[in-house]
Amino acid sequence: MMETAELKQQVKEQIIHFLNLTTVKPEDITDDEPLFGEGLGLDSIDSIELIVLLSREYGITIQDPKEGRKILTDINTMVDYIEKNRTK
Amino acid sequence: MSRIFITGMGLISAIGDSVEENRDSLINEHCGIGHIRFYKTAYAGKLPTAEVKHTTDELNKKLFGTPDPSVTRTSLLALHAAGEAIRDSQLASKEISSAETALVGASTVGGMCLTDELYHDARARDGGTPYLSSYDYASVTLAIRERYGILGETATINTACSSSANAIIYGARLIRHGFAKRAIVGGADSLAKFTINGFNALNILSSKICAPFDRDRSGLNLGEGAAFLVLEKEEDLNGKKTYAELTGFGNKNDAYHASSNSPEGQGPYLSMMEALESSGLGPQDISYINAHGTGTENNDETESRAMLRLFDQVPPFSSTKSLTGHTLGAAGAMEAVFAIQSLVYQEMYPSLSFQHPIPETGLVPVLHYTRHFIRHVMSNSFGFGGNCSTLIFSKS
Amino acid sequence: MPYFHQSVCISPQNSFPETDLSRIRESKNNWLEATEPDYPGIPAAVKRRMGKSVRMAVGASIPLLKKFPPPDGMVIATANGGMEDCIRFLNQIHEYKEGLLTPGSFVQSTSNAAAAQIAILTKNHNYNITHVHRGLAFENALLDVVMLLKENPQAGYLLGSTDEISAYNYNIDRIAGWFRDEPVLNTGLFEKPAKGTIAGEGAFMVWMNNERTAAQAEMMAVKTIHTVDPGLVLKTMEKFLSENLPSGETPDLVLTGENGDIRMAPYIDIVESYFNESVPVARFKHFCGEYCTASSFACWLAIQIVQCGFVPPLLIKKKGSRSSCKRILIYNNYRDIQHAFILISAVERV
Repeated sequence: MMETAELKQQVKEQIIHFLNLTTVKPEDITDDEPLFGEGLGLDSIDSIELIVLLSREYGITIQDPKEGRKILTDINTMVDYIEKNRTK
Repeated sequence: MSRIFITGMGLISAIGDSVEENRDSLINEHCGIGHIRFYKTAYAGKLPTAEVKHTTDELNKKLFGTPDPSVTRTSLLALHAAGEAIRDSQLASKEISSAETALVGASTVGGMCLTDELYHDARARDGGTPYLSSYDYASVTLAIRERYGILGETATINTACSSSANAIIYGARLIRHGFAKRAIVGGADSLAKFTINGFNALNILSSKICAPFDRDRSGLNLGEGAAFLVLEKEEDLNGKKTYAELTGFGNKNDAYHASSNSPEGQGPYLSMMEALESSGLGPQDISYINAHGTGTENNDETESRAMLRLFDQVPPFSSTKSLTGHTLGAAGAMEAVFAIQSLVYQEMYPSLSFQHPIPETGLVPVLHYTRHFIRHVMSNSFGFGGNCSTLIFSKS
Repeated sequence: MPYFHQSVCISPQNSFPETDLSRIRESKNNWLEATEPDYPGIPAAVKRRMGKSVRMAVGASIPLLKKFPPPDGMVIATANGGMEDCIRFLNQIHEYKEGLLTPGSFVQSTSNAAAAQIAILTKNHNYNITHVHRGLAFENALLDVVMLLKENPQAGYLLGSTDEISAYNYNIDRIAGWFRDEPVLNTGLFEKPAKGTIAGEGAFMVWMNNERTAAQAEMMAVKTIHTVDPGLVLKTMEKFLSENLPSGETPDLVLTGENGDIRMAPYIDIVESYFNESVPVARFKHFCGEYCTASSFACWLAIQIVQCGFVPPLLIKKKGSRSSCKRILIYNNYRDIQHAFILISAVERV
């Protein structure tokens, strides 16, 4: 079972890789920084892509994109949700 | 500046194989949206679509007798509709093939309806399918060009969902500038895994039959089809029958996001305004609007806002996509034909599946077939990439 | 009268940011890939999503958008759009059996992605169109701007084109017989004409308006035709020249899209042999490779040449004996049936 800190690091790396954020390093993303709007500045297409990431990497299905946005508020909420719901 | 008239129309969609059959379905509220019967996709049975009710083989045999194996379904639909339009225009064959006849097509799928074949050819070492030269968008226009031997200006436009509206505009301008005497303009698209999966990945396909402008709408249904029109200028009519005059058009960009409109519907607002300005008409002169009305959350609300901004009193409007589905590259031309029919017969077509208005805008579309006095009709097509086009047709 | 002002050309050669046509970069594996600059003007958040053709187009437009007022319209030509993104999305469809897919590459693969992105970055609400008619997409876009400038004489427009090689698209064209089976260098493209040519890519953006002041070249005329009859190609050219040049005059240079494909030789021959020995002939596809909008590279070349009156030796096929180079006829052929003529001249200095 992965430690939370390690999972956070992994998730940051996955986000960077998945969304092709070539100019961002994992240490640039703070855990409580908003992923959307201000902060990392992701948009609606990114939110869909991250829902796919959650499915492919962690076996988590999110049916409602609006619910997805809440889960994807920041790294903390995202990792918290993964820990509670991952099937992979 | 030459006045442009429509002298021929052709159409094939999920609700009919001809202009007449389509009108019949519109009047009788025959919705063409249902389960996929012919196209092979994992979504058959899951996502409602508006498929043309013929297999590709049937379409092929009808056009070619002996089927031509290299012609894609998109091209077959285009050939079918262009053929009807050309016959309807009563142009002599040497007029059609002349260097003074322009041909402007549009498609967003092209031959990529053959998704599996494309996947195969992209990797094949040698051999390949008969479709090697048929995947691009131009292949659809070129299929028409070849069949009729057209020697004039030939173009293909792809601006997503507004493509064939832009094809109509481009054709009209070619005539006005003297680069063509007449123009055959329109577009075609067929179902493709490419667009089914693409739109589905964006979460804008509905698992239910689409409900444009409804409070509880949940997305669009893809459709397929083709529509072509023949444009001629006033000086060349010589008493020929005309369906309508193209009195105004506009193309503006929303410039907000690649796949959604700005909240205030700036692009749609500006394109409608430009079309009005180009026609010399005011908002109060529009009797009826064939809306873009896809049934997505974003489009219907932003389109509504744009209409509310532009019109003191929003004219009656409907979305025929509630019967034909969203035919992408064919939509602009298809809905232009419907708009023209409404002018010719002085009627409005229903917007199906509507129950409650969008609370933020309160607009209610035309719900049933209605006879109506129409002098000027507007048709809207708003595509990805913020590409917004508006056409205005007037009684001729 | 439409004029070309500043332009940017991203190509496999030294065309941007510095222009040096005295040297030629070599192809690799029958590909001439465009060398891309850094694109500091494209925000990272936007650049990360872009495939090469969109990136080149947007990158090429930025210097012009900085220099000139907001365009009254953008007219872009691309026949293969974001081919790489398109096939990337297809791969996903296949790999995940139409399951849960990421939409990014679908959105980027749409033909009007480049035109849309430029509009979004500059909040430009004006006319915006994408022409995709295969080997004539650029000429149609050019004609569109010519018409726009007649409709709106005070306006300024961004005209451009972009196409990229993608491994998959190249493969389809290769098995269709459009590219050479055996390896050939671009520098030796014309030595032994054979079936097929080499692939290229690039983007071109130019500012156009009706202002002669500070213009770099004059856009005289454009004509396209679909035919497999070299005789009709010749007739079309004769009519084109008689309508656009004073009687008895010929261009100072004929710049052709000869690409080493022996099957297209009849068209090149009939065009070239129409002109007498004094008319120089040059060609450009060993510089840029073959792609749908390659004639935009020729257009860029012509704009450079008429400004200095000098034809770079590496382009020359027949030297001729003209003392200046004020008017250039571009003739391009794309895959047998598509033909285009563009006439560009130096700006008449009053």
